[in-house]
Amino acid sequence: MNTYSWLVRREFWENRAIWIVPIVIGAALTLAALFGRADIAAVSSPAQNRVLGGTVLFAFGVTFFVVMSIYSSWYLLDCLYADRKDRSVLFWKSLPISDTATVLAKLFTGLIAIPLVYFIAADVSTLLIAFIISVRARSTIGNSLWQPDVWLQLQALWLYLIVTSAIWYLPFAGWLLAVSAWAKRAVILWSILPPLALYLLERWFFGTHVVGTALGDRTLGYIPRAFHAMSDQRAWVTTVIDNDAITAPASVWSLLNPLGFVSSPATWIGVIVGSAFIAGAIQFRLRHAEL
Amino acid sequence: MPVLIDARDLTKKYGTHVALDHANFAVQTGRIVGLIGPNGAGKTSALRAILGLTSYEGRLRVLGREPFSDRAALMKDACFIADVAVLPAWLRVDQAIDFVAGVHPRFRRDRALALLAKSQITGKRRMRELSKGMKTQVHLALTMAIDAKLLVLDEPTLGLDILARRSFYDALVNDYMDETRTILITTHQVEEVENLLTDVIFIDKGRIVLDSSIEDIATRYAAVAVTDDNVAAARAEKPFYQRRTLGKTLLYFERPDFDRLSGLGEVLTPSVSDLFVAKLSHGAA
Repeated sequence: MNTYSWLVRREFWENRAIWIVPIVIGAALTLAALFGRADIAAVSSPAQNRVLGGTVLFAFGVTFFVVMSIYSSWYLLDCLYADRKDRSVLFWKSLPISDTATVLAKLFTGLIAIPLVYFIAADVSTLLIAFIISVRARSTIGNSLWQPDVWLQLQALWLYLIVTSAIWYLPFAGWLLAVSAWAKRAVILWSILPPLALYLLERWFFGTHVVGTALGDRTLGYIPRAFHAMSDQRAWVTTVIDNDAITAPASVWSLLNPLGFVSSPATWIGVIVGSAFIAGAIQFRLRHAEL
Repeated sequence: MPVLIDARDLTKKYGTHVALDHANFAVQTGRIVGLIGPNGAGKTSALRAILGLTSYEGRLRVLGREPFSDRAALMKDACFIADVAVLPAWLRVDQAIDFVAGVHPRFRRDRALALLAKSQITGKRRMRELSKGMKTQVHLALTMAIDAKLLVLDEPTLGLDILARRSFYDALVNDYMDETRTILITTHQVEEVENLLTDVIFIDKGRIVLDSSIEDIATRYAAVAVTDDNVAAARAEKPFYQRRTLGKTLLYFERPDFDRLSGLGEVLTPSVSDLFVAKLSHGAA
């Protein structure tokens, strides 16, 4: 276990963007809250306050999550390739660390450690922003962002998001690692072209859409499986305020659908496919030490 | 003496190219062995196989382990510096020491720090800021601070100036080497290492052409410097190589009859580098 902690630490040394990027985003959002317009339309009712506060906090979180997903994908695609590109791979291999441990540490970094860093950065900056806004705009929005219970619920949401998306997107993560361990150059191209070629060949020769459907479902199918749908009466409440229908989560807990996620066959098919790609990445790391 | 590396019919093919062709050799504990060969002879392939960096055919045991399937465990007792292994540019010296100390049970931090203290390299420097020679010194300090049974050095002093080379080899022999350790070293600078080697293995075209201790070379090989009058008589003794020097001809013999040779001219024990040239100059006899 100690070896793994060193391996993850080394990823943070090598990829300083892991923590610099979320700090920059957090700082930018905090500055915007400090100096930007804060005179959003006044809201009055407690229900509206809740919705507004929750939405703003959620929007900040989503900003972090989107950037994190892009960065993390890039990290997974680059990490094993970078070791071969700078020829440090033989130095790492001169140490008593198995290639399995190396690949798994990088997988863990991409799917869990990086999201956690963004999660912490999002937390710290949303707290700062909530405080700043409630001071600057106390006559209008007042303390609507300052809702400990909403904030706590969002924590659960982020943690749930990190764990379930790591499981759901395991095939993508495994694929990126395998390309990273295998490709001699142009990792971005190699990560995109084979699935694209499969998709096109299937269409031309068989006229079917199996690959396209599978890729599309893997990309977009996460939210419907891990969360309750908008149509689900238990999860969402619609209130009418000043003739506007506002749909909001009844609570964060009611949104999460862990049972649905775990019982979906697609979840486990993904785990199997992802594991196969990861095993491939380990084999490539074992055999293709140099470019 | 226990055998540390045992290779039988070690073969490595890249497509149709045969880099190692049924190579047989053994390395015993407590020796400093030079693996010597021209470029493309199979030195690197042999080292890669020994260090578990590549798959191979044939039988190979290093410290009793099968290197390719057991590399991580093997690296607890063996360490190496390959000529192309580079410390990553982003790594700081103190991070490198922390990391190796963290993952290597036999790493001695105090030793690494003592080795680095002699140079002007500080902990906060990143590898990209260091010169080639300084990087090599950091790498050597990291590696020599590991209490390994087997140290493999692949062209270790490449890029070092003459002073650094000399002090490196001095440190290797005086501070590092003891009877429990074994060093396998490859270099094309034969002259630089021949005085410290206890054994040599010559490799050419994927085959082992010589595997001998230095003491045995004196009894197994001889060079005779003869004047032109005696060349014909000397050639009758079947030298495997000859060359002209300063009015004399040097003829090289394997398993010589020393009494008969001494009648022809001055009998010399060939140096490792002379023997290397003699063994690997094909068809010159």
